[in-house]
Amino acid sequence: MIKDFTNGIVKVNPIFVLALGLCPALAISTSIDNAIGMGASVIFVLLFSNLMISLLRNVIPKEVRIPCFIVIIATFVTIVSLALQAYLPALNESLGIYVPLIVVNCIILGRAEAFASKNPVSRSVLDALGIGLGFTLSLIIISIIRELLGTGGISVFGYGVTLPFSPATFFIMPAGAFLVIGLLLGLFKRVGVIR
Amino acid sequence: MNELLALFIKYALVNNFILTMFLGLCPFFGVSKRLGDALSMGIAVTFVMLSASVITWLIAHFLLIPFNIQYMEIVVFILVIASFVQLIEMFIRKTSVSLYRALGIYLPLITTNCAILGIAEINFREGFSLLGSVASSLGAGVGFILALAIMSGMRERLEISAVPESFEGLPIAFITASLLSLSFIVFRGIGL
Amino acid sequence: MKESWKRVIVLTSIVAISVVVLSSIYNITEPEIAKQKEIKFEEMLQSIFPLATDYSGKEGIYEIYSDNKRVGYALMANGKGYGGDIEILVGVNEDKTIKGIKILKQTETPGLGAKITERWFTDQFSGKPIGDIRLKKDDGKIDAITGATISSSAAVDTVYEGYMEKIKMMEEK
Repeated sequence: MIKDFTNGIVKVNPIFVLALGLCPALAISTSIDNAIGMGASVIFVLLFSNLMISLLRNVIPKEVRIPCFIVIIATFVTIVSLALQAYLPALNESLGIYVPLIVVNCIILGRAEAFASKNPVSRSVLDALGIGLGFTLSLIIISIIRELLGTGGISVFGYGVTLPFSPATFFIMPAGAFLVIGLLLGLFKRVGVIR
Repeated sequence: MNELLALFIKYALVNNFILTMFLGLCPFFGVSKRLGDALSMGIAVTFVMLSASVITWLIAHFLLIPFNIQYMEIVVFILVIASFVQLIEMFIRKTSVSLYRALGIYLPLITTNCAILGIAEINFREGFSLLGSVASSLGAGVGFILALAIMSGMRERLEISAVPESFEGLPIAFITASLLSLSFIVFRGIGL
Repeated sequence: MKESWKRVIVLTSIVAISVVVLSSIYNITEPEIAKQKEIKFEEMLQSIFPLATDYSGKEGIYEIYSDNKRVGYALMANGKGYGGDIEILVGVNEDKTIKGIKILKQTETPGLGAKITERWFTDQFSGKPIGDIRLKKDDGKIDAITGATISSSAAVDTVYEGYMEKIKMMEEK
């Protein structure tokens, strides 16, 4: 059972292994705060969607399962969106349209289809937490690199350090995101962490 | 007229969906190995983007806003998009086998494509008019096709080049995309 | 036949539950969201009138007070830019000169027309009477952004027309 949780972090790491959920990863990984915010949002949606879908897996007819999954996921994404607008408006502005886009994040629908719809609630919850954590950690790694190299320092929730070197704005730009992920993918493959 | 042109160019080049906004990446990396496939995919995506933009605009302005249920936006939009794509797929499959073989198989992939919901969201949040939404979605689609076409050309070359083993496939594709994205920065200087 | 009905019922029920859940959440969060918008608006006002302590008004015309003394007005100006709508908050001194402007919404070209939000452009409006609010090429005192004349004109026109419209409304009251 514990494997259901740990799998999500490395073996089935959504970003580096499955290459899912890339859109948000590249777009918002310009700061660690964004990464944590987006990661937490995705974990919330994954957790509750997997939970609901697993609970209802014997009730939802196979033929309409995709629309049903989509509505359930979209509902939780809307909850996150409303909550952000009300209580964390700054984060909401940074994440922008990528908040509603969580609903089409292949990770969530993918897990619902591949796991939650076929497994009991306890396993589905662990799977969601594992995958969500894997996603968040990957986002944080990418953001640390981009923020450090792109702005010359890193900061989390207002506490930060600035390092004494000239940053390369390139890394904050979209091109920088592509490069960082490409290099990381190649590196992980080389080191054998992923195939 | 100028405004519409500006919107078109903004989403085709300046805010290119793939290279600047990271929307629509899955098909970008999955399909972009051959020019033929890339173009078919691009056309399918553009068509869906355009239709989805119009339909979601109508729903937003005749249903969501008048009844003050804007918070249902995400649920409604994605349901509408998913249903629409389903209908299109069925329609194409029944009417034209050749068209289906060319475009149809990409359609299910498109439903959960960030690009479609992305343009619908942008239209809604920026408050574009119906014509504005048409302009932006056409621009986004054309930009998508452009990026896809250039990328597939480059990847065809990459297939036959000597790439370090651990970088084969996805990693080198990303690095290539990085260079492509860099070159698109030049469009920020457009002054129409 | 039963199968199809089951599918419809399940899907419809899920949508119905979704509507109920979301409308409840919306009712809970809506006041907070409205408050956030108000806070943001106040920050905008503060950036034009740093010493302001209070404001009142509605429909785009606000009176600004500093310790119970009126120090000026803030007017909402709307116009059409190159890429879309432009919304500008125009601060007006008691003597009807412009105190400052703050661009609230614009969708001009990033790196070019979007530069109208930059301080060097918006600071130009401060301290000038409305008669000077025109581009230099139109005999005014505002420098346009090189290569973004349309966006610059749009900003200037928005401020000018918004000012004229709102001042007239104030005088009619």
